[in-house]
Amino acid sequence: MTQLQSPGGAGGDRCPRRTPGRLDFQALTPVAVYVHIPFCPSKCGYCDFNSFAMQGEIVPRTVEATERSIRRSVSAGRPCKTVFFGGGTPTLLPGSDLARLLLAVLDTHPTTDGLEVTTECNPGTVDEAKLSELRAAGFERISLGAQSFQTHDLIQLGRVHSPTQTFEAVRAARRAGFSRLNLDLIFGLPGQSLAAWRQNLVQALELEPNHLSLYCLTIESNTRFCRYWNRGMLDLPDDGAQVEMYDAAVEVCAEAGLRQYEISNFARPGEECRHNLAYWRGEEYEGYGPGAVGCVRTSAAAWPRRRTTRTKHPARFSDEVEAGLEAVCEEEALDELTGSFERVMLGIRLNEGIVADGLSSEGLSEVLRRGWAAVTAGRVALTPAGRHFCNEVAAALA
Amino acid sequence: MDQSRIRNFCIIAHIDHGKSTLADRILERTGLVRGTAQEQMLDTMDLERERGITIKMTAVRLSYTAKNGTEYEFNLIDTPGHVDFTYEVSRALYACEGALLLVDATQGVEAQTIANASMAMNQNLEIIPVINKVDLPHADIAMAKEEIENALAIEAGDAIPASAKTGVGIDEILEAIVHRIPPPQGDPTAPLRALIFDSHFDNYQGAVAYVRVVDGEVRPGDRIRMMSTGKTFEVDEVGVFRPRLERFDVLTSGEVGFVTAAIKSIGDASVGDTVTSAERPAQQPLPGYRKANPMVYCGLYPTDADQYQELREAIEKLQMNDASLAFQPETSAALGFGFRCGFLGLLHMDIARERLEREFDLDLILTAPSVDYVVHLTDGKILDVTNPSEMPETTKIASIDEPVVHATVLVPNEYVGTVMTLCQDRRGTYQRTEYPSPNRAILHYQLPLAEILLDFFDKLKSQTKGYASFDYELAGNVAADLVKVDILLNGDLVDALSFIVNKQFAYYRGKAIVEQLRKVVPRQQFEVRVQAAIGAKVIAADTIKPFRKNVIAKCYGGDVTRKRKLLEKQKAGKKRMKQIGAVEVPQEAFLSVLKVAE
Repeated sequence: MTQLQSPGGAGGDRCPRRTPGRLDFQALTPVAVYVHIPFCPSKCGYCDFNSFAMQGEIVPRTVEATERSIRRSVSAGRPCKTVFFGGGTPTLLPGSDLARLLLAVLDTHPTTDGLEVTTECNPGTVDEAKLSELRAAGFERISLGAQSFQTHDLIQLGRVHSPTQTFEAVRAARRAGFSRLNLDLIFGLPGQSLAAWRQNLVQALELEPNHLSLYCLTIESNTRFCRYWNRGMLDLPDDGAQVEMYDAAVEVCAEAGLRQYEISNFARPGEECRHNLAYWRGEEYEGYGPGAVGCVRTSAAAWPRRRTTRTKHPARFSDEVEAGLEAVCEEEALDELTGSFERVMLGIRLNEGIVADGLSSEGLSEVLRRGWAAVTAGRVALTPAGRHFCNEVAAALA
Repeated sequence: MDQSRIRNFCIIAHIDHGKSTLADRILERTGLVRGTAQEQMLDTMDLERERGITIKMTAVRLSYTAKNGTEYEFNLIDTPGHVDFTYEVSRALYACEGALLLVDATQGVEAQTIANASMAMNQNLEIIPVINKVDLPHADIAMAKEEIENALAIEAGDAIPASAKTGVGIDEILEAIVHRIPPPQGDPTAPLRALIFDSHFDNYQGAVAYVRVVDGEVRPGDRIRMMSTGKTFEVDEVGVFRPRLERFDVLTSGEVGFVTAAIKSIGDASVGDTVTSAERPAQQPLPGYRKANPMVYCGLYPTDADQYQELREAIEKLQMNDASLAFQPETSAALGFGFRCGFLGLLHMDIARERLEREFDLDLILTAPSVDYVVHLTDGKILDVTNPSEMPETTKIASIDEPVVHATVLVPNEYVGTVMTLCQDRRGTYQRTEYPSPNRAILHYQLPLAEILLDFFDKLKSQTKGYASFDYELAGNVAADLVKVDILLNGDLVDALSFIVNKQFAYYRGKAIVEQLRKVVPRQQFEVRVQAAIGAKVIAADTIKPFRKNVIAKCYGGDVTRKRKLLEKQKAGKKRMKQIGAVEVPQEAFLSVLKVAE
């Protein structure tokens, strides 16, 4: 990996101040770092993420505030092994802003070997020049929100890009030097047939990504889709049809050599998203930017942990950071018991499963009896049938 | 106190016509309470305060110096304002010589006003009409007077205009109590006769009986006898409430107060009973005693079977304070061990459930309420059926009688048609119509009690935009063409969902309940058939399709807390489900019979 140089004049607070008596975080296990960019060209109908279709002065102001908040993080000094820029639409920002934020992360968190740096990317917001700039800044993995290769699906979803732009973005990313590439696709779209979904999968695989995230459309409350759904205006495939689409996806990916490693994620061996694996494995993560969530220990002991959500609105977030505050709007103290509940809930999503020891034996025998899970070498993992009932399994085991 | 200076009275009013506020003003004006630290002094339980109704009445003693300079002893007896407690109201009225008839100047006479006023007139009480809320801009005193005269046949010329809220008319009311209500006429030298008009249970004192001494006197140390049971007790304390308890040496003829006598069970101080002296008993009890008969029955089951014992103890404790609550153990194939409980009415049932859940921290399943059906069997035997699942086979039944009520509905003229349709839909028999004022009508119907247990009152209120008022009194049993409808889930009979219905409505109600269940029973991993059947004949059916998946598509760092909470909720919800065969049924399903939209 190239040695990163900081641009001139990045400010004097690059080296985090170490409060006397602060724990020696260096000694601790690394954290996964998430940076949230809350801006989008427009709000998609299905999306309930913390995103805003804002322009103008608020954008650079938020970038500035995010950088400051990174540089004076309570986790400063803790090593990081993965960095993930998500949104919103990170690539709506100029490449230089993304580079600057990444630099702030790397200045604040010493890196470990094999650092993974991903950014989400909307196909309609990048060209080869911008992607090259990102690559040069240290990003090495791209997650493209393709969603569908059918124009009418994209219009319905409220996406700003076209299928052609997705193809172009993939080619541009390759030319810019990104070898690690993910495509996000959504199935169970209004009016979508199994055949149309299969067609999408074929088109995605033709682009030879080494990672696919395939999500079933979920109607989240407080979204435009939710309002349509409540009024009976969305013709969604029923859960039986969703199951067929999912099973088709699993089959097609396996044939293409993309191994499933999580409920919705498929990758060539070794190309799994290590950042997301950290969430599912119950590891610690830090979050920067409006609405970002972090969950880190509060002392040298692994528990309790503190889960924080940064202030969500960009202007409020910036106000608070500028006032020298931590800009946290919600926080939760997680004890080990709650932590292990979450560990089951998240870990069972993975094909590697979770350690069988310590699980509810009643729940375990129930899910084994139903054929939803199997135990191999002391670990419990979902069976293909069980993947459709992940929540039931989690509820039984946790 | 000389009987000539005692005035015993109560306030009768429709709900929300301002009875409790008026009582508060009277208490204030007679110096008993200063200001209103807590509004509505007479309603003691939290629950009453929340619901704004009086469940248990209390008597308070007040001293009033009239304009003529004489000091009078007032006993204000509070009466419950709901049809479920009609018998208790009648006993409270018996303890009085007069009543303030409170009518809201903006509403006029309502159904409960009529019911309670007729009861008071039947007991020859002196009635003082009071037109309340005259301070409101749309108050119509003339209309209220006209309605009092037409609907109640009470002279309203000297009705007192008042506002319990602002205090207008309170002095006039107090003077009218002195001059218009007659003093008690009991015999102070005769053997003791005191009417129990209310009681409550105190953990230290045992049952506390609220009595009106009619003849004779009662003192601590006296041996007393309950005339209905013959049980004797030694009096510990006598006294009055002002509104806090005050001990006295004696309660004499004409007075109202409490008696405690280490009475272990509230059932031994039952409302309506006569207390007499054990040494010198009276020949005749005071008239009108009857045992409180439950009118409405339902099954009460703990959601968690382990709470059965706790539930038993809780019901027993509740019964100590509420003699009209009846219960006996029952078993349901669907719900396990529980109790069949009898209540005076739906409100009484609701209050009991709420107190059990709130005061005893229990999680309960209630089955749909039922009435007491008198079943004549072909072999000549007669059976009381309060649990639909115990209804015998059709072939063994000669006939079934069901309880009916005489219902009074007061309604603006434009809603007469609506109300008539509603009553007819509920198997009502029209009796007559009266017109208390040019704009309103009083409809009299005979209705099966079972039909008003459903959502009759809600329907009445919503279909008349809240203008109708409704009251009823029991009117015996009449024969009816009834059948039992069973509900089956995947072929398993759910005994707790069986219901009894008029044959001509069986199909519609069966269909409606099946539909309701399809909505409230969550999808399972297999198809669930929901059927309604009369005997072996299925009259309605539907299916709940299985769910094919339950999985969150996306779960990353920012979603964890929310998803965890959803999962915790899912786990908790599962615990509250009842397993019927392989089908998991939520609590609310057992009340779906009640929620059926007609």
